[in-house]
Amino acid sequence: MHVLGILGRGVDETTLDGVVDRAVDELAQDGRVGVIRYDATIADGTHETLTIGGDVTYGLGADGDWTATGTGLSVQDAIDQLATNCDYGVVVGVPSLQRRYPTLIVGSDADTDRAESNDRAHSLDHAQNTLATIDSPTDLDTLALTTALESTEPHRTLESLVSEVKHSPQAPRAGAIATFTGRVRQKDTEDDTPTEYLEFEKYEGVADERMAALESELEAREGVFAVELYHRTGVVEDGEDIVFVVVLAGHREEAFRTVEDGINRLKDEVPLFKKEVTIEDEFWVHEQSKSHHE
Amino acid sequence: MPTEWKLFADLAERAGDKQVTVDASAGDTVDDALSELVADRPAVGDRVLTDDGDLRSQINVMRNGTNVLVEEDGLETVLEEGDELALFPPVSGG
Repeated sequence: MHVLGILGRGVDETTLDGVVDRAVDELAQDGRVGVIRYDATIADGTHETLTIGGDVTYGLGADGDWTATGTGLSVQDAIDQLATNCDYGVVVGVPSLQRRYPTLIVGSDADTDRAESNDRAHSLDHAQNTLATIDSPTDLDTLALTTALESTEPHRTLESLVSEVKHSPQAPRAGAIATFTGRVRQKDTEDDTPTEYLEFEKYEGVADERMAALESELEAREGVFAVELYHRTGVVEDGEDIVFVVVLAGHREEAFRTVEDGINRLKDEVPLFKKEVTIEDEFWVHEQSKSHHE
Repeated sequence: MPTEWKLFADLAERAGDKQVTVDASAGDTVDDALSELVADRPAVGDRVLTDDGDLRSQINVMRNGTNVLVEEDGLETVLEEGDELALFPPVSGG
């Protein structure tokens, strides 16, 4: 799934709504679109009419139509849930997401949301993730929105990759799915300096080529039907997932073996570079001196 | 015809840029392009070359996405027009 953030900068609600409608219509021509709207006025009790009890309520109708209300869902949770069955996810009104996802800025009042970009890593990413700045819905006419969004990094989750391999034409012969998730480790030992975030640099083009070649090579193994590799780039914060390897295979033995070889070869062969930022220091991981290990 | 180097991680920081165009063209070798690269950038040279001027063992050189040290003729590989060269430290994904 490709995520598109939309943020208003000093424009009225009608203009922003107009842009969202138009963007969703355009993306819907090429795939299934999920929309997440952040609205701080949604709070306990304000949606009583829909909630008939329970912390989460789904109202289900004919043909799989549904409505839902509930508590305890973060914006990132909502995006991750959409990722399993949507091609595009549009998120409206969440400035902090610009760190991670391409964002359409509506209006040019630069002061709005400035507070969001205070620290060094985030302000850098902020600038990179602006897909375009526009003033009105009609500006979308000249912006090839779908094409622009497709050229950015997709958002994938373990669940979305598992769902993808389950749709492989060879899935009927597969009795096993094995997965590996690599995540940001805060500490190696109890008294280790906590890692704040990692920042990954990628050899654009070549890294993707290498990963695709590695997937094909592993898929050519006897009894292995589908392999998905995914690695995030940019800033990945403490506790977040970095890399996934998902293998669909006939039996567990080749599934386990291929997952292990997949992550080992990805780490050895794909041109990706990791910078670690702790609360005290920052360094490229390959340059890491002995003292960092001790 | 100039040739372009792409630099990564600390090598880009040492060079002050992620892309450097050098004066090397079709018929020259990767080694010629490397010499041009480090000539004005001693910080990069110190990092990638030994005291004897050989490439350090952990440094990778790619030509159009192919590792010249493993799959081609190493630094003696001859450049073709429009080649993209890349220089990087050990990869560290995951």
